[in-house]
Amino acid sequence: MDDKKEELKELLYQACEEKLDDETAYSRSFSQDDLQSLSICRELKMDLKTLMGLVQSLTNDRRFIPLQSASGPVWRLRPEEEANKYRGLEKDQVLVYSWIDNAGGEGIWQQTLRNKTGITQDQQFKNILKQLEAKRLITSFMSVQNASHKCWIKASIKPSIKATGGPWYADGDLDESFINILLNVVFDFIKDQGSYSTRSSGGTTRGASTSPVLPKKVLKGKESEVAIAARGKKRDADAITNDDESTPLKARRSNGQQRILLPMPAGYSNYITLAEITERIAAANITRGTKLKESDVKQLLDVLMYDGRIEEIKVGRRVGYRAVRISKHDPSNFVPGSVPSYDLPSNGLTEAPCGRCPVFELCEEGDPCGRAAVSTSMSGLHNTLGSKQPSCIVWSTYVSSLSMFTPPGLQISIP
Amino acid sequence: MASSTQTKNAAELCVLLIRELYGQLPSRIFEILLSSGRSTVQQLGRISSTSLRNVRHGLAVLVQQNLVYHYTDSENSRTIYEANHYYAYNIVRNGKILDCTHRNYGEAAKRIVHLVMASGHMRVGSIVDAYLKNHGKPANNVNGSPEPTNGHESGDDPFEDAAEEEPQVSGHQVLDDIAHLIAIGILEPLSPKMLQSPEDIKSEVDKDLMKAYPSGLRGKQKGEHESRVVNTVREIRNRSQHLKMQLEPTYLYGSGAKRRKLANGDRTHGFSAANDDDPIEDTILLRVNYEKCLVELRNQRLCQFVDDNIGYTTARVYGAMLTALSKKLSCCQPDPTDDSIDPMNPPTVTTIEIFEYLKPSVDVFGGIGKPSADQINVTSAEKVERNPPSGDGDGDEAGYDAQTSIEEPDNDDDDDVDMEMANGYHLNGTHGGDDGEVSGQNGTKDTKVSFADKGPTKAERMQRMRQHLLILAESGIHFVRHSGTRDQGEWTVDFEILIRQLRFLELDTIIEDTFGREGLRLIKILRAKGKIDDKTLPTMALMQKGDVHMKMVEMELAGFLDVQEVPRDNNRVAARTLFLWFFDEHRTLTRTLDNTYKAMVRHLQRLEVEGQKKKNILSIVERTDVQGMEQEKLSGDAYNEYQQFLDIQSRLLGQVSKLDDLVSVLRDY
Repeated sequence: MDDKKEELKELLYQACEEKLDDETAYSRSFSQDDLQSLSICRELKMDLKTLMGLVQSLTNDRRFIPLQSASGPVWRLRPEEEANKYRGLEKDQVLVYSWIDNAGGEGIWQQTLRNKTGITQDQQFKNILKQLEAKRLITSFMSVQNASHKCWIKASIKPSIKATGGPWYADGDLDESFINILLNVVFDFIKDQGSYSTRSSGGTTRGASTSPVLPKKVLKGKESEVAIAARGKKRDADAITNDDESTPLKARRSNGQQRILLPMPAGYSNYITLAEITERIAAANITRGTKLKESDVKQLLDVLMYDGRIEEIKVGRRVGYRAVRISKHDPSNFVPGSVPSYDLPSNGLTEAPCGRCPVFELCEEGDPCGRAAVSTSMSGLHNTLGSKQPSCIVWSTYVSSLSMFTPPGLQISIP
Repeated sequence: MASSTQTKNAAELCVLLIRELYGQLPSRIFEILLSSGRSTVQQLGRISSTSLRNVRHGLAVLVQQNLVYHYTDSENSRTIYEANHYYAYNIVRNGKILDCTHRNYGEAAKRIVHLVMASGHMRVGSIVDAYLKNHGKPANNVNGSPEPTNGHESGDDPFEDAAEEEPQVSGHQVLDDIAHLIAIGILEPLSPKMLQSPEDIKSEVDKDLMKAYPSGLRGKQKGEHESRVVNTVREIRNRSQHLKMQLEPTYLYGSGAKRRKLANGDRTHGFSAANDDDPIEDTILLRVNYEKCLVELRNQRLCQFVDDNIGYTTARVYGAMLTALSKKLSCCQPDPTDDSIDPMNPPTVTTIEIFEYLKPSVDVFGGIGKPSADQINVTSAEKVERNPPSGDGDGDEAGYDAQTSIEEPDNDDDDDVDMEMANGYHLNGTHGGDDGEVSGQNGTKDTKVSFADKGPTKAERMQRMRQHLLILAESGIHFVRHSGTRDQGEWTVDFEILIRQLRFLELDTIIEDTFGREGLRLIKILRAKGKIDDKTLPTMALMQKGDVHMKMVEMELAGFLDVQEVPRDNNRVAARTLFLWFFDEHRTLTRTLDNTYKAMVRHLQRLEVEGQKKKNILSIVERTDVQGMEQEKLSGDAYNEYQQFLDIQSRLLGQVSKLDDLVSVLRDY
């Protein structure tokens, strides 16, 4: 009887093994129905009781892993060699090892392990772990999610991405410089493919930026005084609607010395896609060994989007990416080690000292900002606040630093 | 108005603005009106400890400048005054409005608006008189003859002429300009009702209508009555629109040729139209309609937004589009109770209309990249969205497959479409000749530049302009919506969505400036995802946990973020609590707005401080015998010091107006 049972066990295990496909391999689980519908069960007309007996026996042998699913109990196969590792272990060791085994790539925190196994004696628990480690069955690592948690994992497998943090972590630390370089590189790809760069020689820029036919002087007479006043100064709120050809932006273009980036026309179907970026990163071999998957690159793209540097653009079915504020970017490529330059937008509040004043919330009428002299108490405050200065202190330098842009403001003469 | 909840800083700002422009007394009275609410003259006198005579003086200034509402109760004939902070705040925009009027409607329009602005409200007759007094006579004097010499040099270039020499004006012409401004909506006729606060008007209407129900309201009558009140109030408000509507056909949609000649000051044909009656009566009171001015200012700001986001040329095209569109808009934030405005069908403009507003100097051939034609997906570019995007703008998923099935063959087979598109990309394209004639009939505004043979035709220019519009439509910011195909394309702007983006942009600028790129990243994650737990953030932002934490706390202290604690069990220990971060849009906007007011207040106070420092000089300059000829009367040093002060003043006021740009975006647009 026992022999027959052993034989049946083998047959059943092999039948299950044959059912495994390449994709899921040993993580495929079998429900009772699955088992019953195996050809071997049907051929031998095995009744449920025998089958359950076999399953139980296999489970005891560690070759079946019992699991619970939503539809009832299921079993997963454990490879033969893994099952063999249980042999020769003591009872407690088996208990601990089976928990670690079941935790898989995620690993299991030492504290959780102790609670689950119910081994209360500290020394005993540590001994077991030590023994298992000595047998090279398990190994410990630190999870990135909880830096202080010592976790255990089977020695034969690597910690999962969730536990190591994927390519972004080096030895459990977030590799920020790596990420930053990658962000910039990815941004460069996007910028290059999603924009049109005017060439630097004078002849070809012409077509792109200046009219081939319209003489510059048309309608000069319509120019307002403000436009004249703004000439040669910083472009401001008004310059844009002026019919002024000599604003720096224009001037820069017509010089033809400096390349600028232009947006692509609508419907441009060549914006770089996620797959292309992944490919280019791989081709450029920037990551040295670590292979970035599409999901990793997507993470980078998400960050770039949150940073407000790129946007997603759907043309037809193709989802591509392009840089925002394209004409404000430096057309040259990113050089590792440098900080890529691009001009930040600013508004009235960020320019004013009040926008960065650390005590702005406390500021009241009659405080130093509104008084001629800066009181000493405020300079004392300034010392405690470090580099950030209360605005009252920087006012005088601020006023002189303001650009001379002057729309008439309040100046209305009352007749 | 969204600003009906006045903050302390806003009130302070209004008072300072009034003091800067109209002096101590009116500002003091305005301050009291703000702090103690509606008051009578007697109450004002008591609170301010000023003589009633002075109070009346102050009030007169305020009334003249539309800065107070006043309401006389018909029963006890007592007059109550109430501060109109909306007008008070708008003082700060005066300069910008003049600037904008000048740019869009020319010198004469600016002078008229300036006159009206300076005196608050004005009769048409006095505007004409004052205008002629200020600007009419000098020209005559120069010419030495009362009769303007017509067409003396206007043959060559009417534009140059207009800018460099004072055109000679007649009363007719000024009236014409005024009528034009009314038709646009920049000036509005003032009726006594408009000086009453909206609440007063409403309660009066309410009282009037209640006379019909002597026994009070019952059941259904209540709703009926309420809708009647709302309608009557609106009718009263719209009463001032009658004149505008009368003038609109002639001045906005009609004889464009006549208008343009006027603007150029070219009166060669002596047409100044004795055949017409004067378009408006002398006795009508006019004041500046800030709501319409805001629309114009908003256009300007949006152009700037496009310039920043896409490029200079596209911004110019956008400007033309907005100008065309704003003809159909009277204010930035339409009254939600008004049934005549359908939010699903905002006004649209066609490509041809836009083209008429495009300045000939705009080089539409620049500013767009030139990929090869096979890289262009025409179907996607020309996608028409009939309805405003809903929320996140993912609404087009449904029609997506149908669309792509058409799109496949178009690169090879569908030559017509391709040709039309290619039109834009090849500068000296040979096609489009036929189109040129077709649409040539429509364009009324000639570029007045005669090109050599190879110049782009009008059709080509229009095609290129369309490309810019398509870029705008494609952008994720929803600058324009391609809403139809009539007349080579209909376009509209969903202002509400666009302005919300603009608001976020301004906030982002502040956040990025204060907390760096990482701070912005975190906030944008929260904005995209809603409430997020402490632990998921670092992974999403690819940042160190500690750094994330520090930034979050920093931003929470500054009031940009909020945190919600959700205990997982009854013990409420920190370890068993979820910390959910979130970004409260409304609160952050209000706070930033208030901070901006405060910064403006500080700037104005600083201006006073600077004034105090140079008190000696300024007191001399204020003397009537020195005013206007400072350079001759002041000694060298004193004059330099005076110049320094002017310098500082203009810098500070310039900055104040930049802060006002921010307020406009956050509050008014």
